[in-house]
Amino acid sequence: MDLETHVTTVLSAAIPIFTVSIILYSIRFFKGPTIPDMVISVDAISYAMAVFLTVLAVIFKSPILIPCAIVLMLWAYALDIYVAKYLEAKEYGD
Amino acid sequence: MIDMNWVLVIIGETMVIWGAICNLIASIGLLRFPNFYVRLHALTVGTIWGAFVPLIGVGLIAAGSEFLGDYRWFMAGAAFVTATLLLFLAPVGSHAIARAAHKSKAAIVYPKVVDKLEEDREKGEIR
Repeated sequence: MDLETHVTTVLSAAIPIFTVSIILYSIRFFKGPTIPDMVISVDAISYAMAVFLTVLAVIFKSPILIPCAIVLMLWAYALDIYVAKYLEAKEYGD
Repeated sequence: MIDMNWVLVIIGETMVIWGAICNLIASIGLLRFPNFYVRLHALTVGTIWGAFVPLIGVGLIAAGSEFLGDYRWFMAGAAFVTATLLLFLAPVGSHAIARAAHKSKAAIVYPKVVDKLEEDREKGEIR
């Protein structure tokens, strides 16, 4: 077995596990009784989706998918900080 | 003689599979744990073991795969940068949301034995 077939096979085996875990995270997002529960589930979805995008970039041989992962991960951080600011002070902005 | 590309690819694939399994464990924990402060522990498993480790693994795979062309160094470097940023920024975000949830009482500490933070806040020692 050459290198390309090996890499594609093993990474294709990881795809269903990522899909199932993203579905379970989104069940917690829709059920979540409080707002911090929904925020941490959105965080977990974003981090898992960033890893999933990089895995897909290796499988499809397309390097344009990698910067999307960086931007997605930074959005999750910005959401954390904004919601924390809103919960403490009940206002957005500075 | 051992081919260096195969070593990089095998190590990276092990890290990616391990990260996928940890993501599954973290999602089950996030779904089954009883309240917000316990769910934060499951989130920590999902960020460090479930996102940082497989990003490093994808970087190693991209560095060792010659069939990706010259852009594989771009993919490897961007994966390492993403992993480093996530290692620094994810704990900061979790800490901020936990502090805000405790301060604004958005998540009730229900099975409570002792809560020193709330006592200090009532005495006015911290804000």
